[in-house]
Amino acid sequence: MNFEQFQNQSRLYVIGALEPEELDEFEKARMKFGKKADDFICKCYALHEAFALSLRPTKSSDVIKERLMAMVKAKKQS
Amino acid sequence: MGPRTIAPPLEPGAPSDFELMRGIQAGDADALSQLYDRYSGILKALILRVIHNEAEADDLLQEIFMEIWNQAKNFSEEKGKPLGWMVTLARRRAIDGLRKKQAYARAEERLQSETEQQPDAWVHNATEDEIVLSDTRVLIRKVIRGLPPAQQQAIELAFFRGMSQREIAAKTNTPLGTVKTRLELGLKKIYDGLKDLKDEL
Repeated sequence: MNFEQFQNQSRLYVIGALEPEELDEFEKARMKFGKKADDFICKCYALHEAFALSLRPTKSSDVIKERLMAMVKAKKQS
Repeated sequence: MGPRTIAPPLEPGAPSDFELMRGIQAGDADALSQLYDRYSGILKALILRVIHNEAEADDLLQEIFMEIWNQAKNFSEEKGKPLGWMVTLARRRAIDGLRKKQAYARAEERLQSETEQQPDAWVHNATEDEIVLSDTRVLIRKVIRGLPPAQQQAIELAFFRGMSQREIAAKTNTPLGTVKTRLELGLKKIYDGLKDLKDEL
């Protein structure tokens, strides 16, 4: 696998779309390319941000936030 | 080399996402409260896109922010941005929830119906006149809309439904190799589009 192929596979990897039989080869290539590979995979996670930001934000419930903060407070006190 | 980000700009003087994450790591509940105010709408939209159920989305949102609180120590600034980390976490939880639910089949039917009626519903589910879009969202949607509908559909099924290439091939009655090509081409175009987007922002 050359680096361009690795880049294509990385984009599939970060969205969980690599098939099991592709994962082995991907991991071997990741080892082969080392830090350059890890840096590229990190950058690919921007796709996650982009897909989330492509959606219209939905109003979240105030009740949920109150429950969350109460749970956090309880956890801190325990 | 740091990861790329396309998160929207903050108000002047507002703490950065990294500052809020450091606060959470130090046990500051107010930092979590601010992070919730900043991103709960985006994360809920993502969850809803996966599970299509308002009440369950609220419950999952609460669980996800609790996980952010509990797992903050595992967040590393060197490995990515807070929003990317949160989206990854939220997506995984939402897809896990979807798979566990008895209602999976019903959601599948709804998705099937939606994709048949609106094959490109991901970025066309509301007209842009109906909603005020942030600059970031306008630009991201522009990038996604530039893809052929078949590529959009393949990416949507993979990202928002957690489907494997084989599952997408079966669902869309498309050869596996074609699905792979659609995903690779579509993701590369979006990835390259984000470079331009970062310059525009």
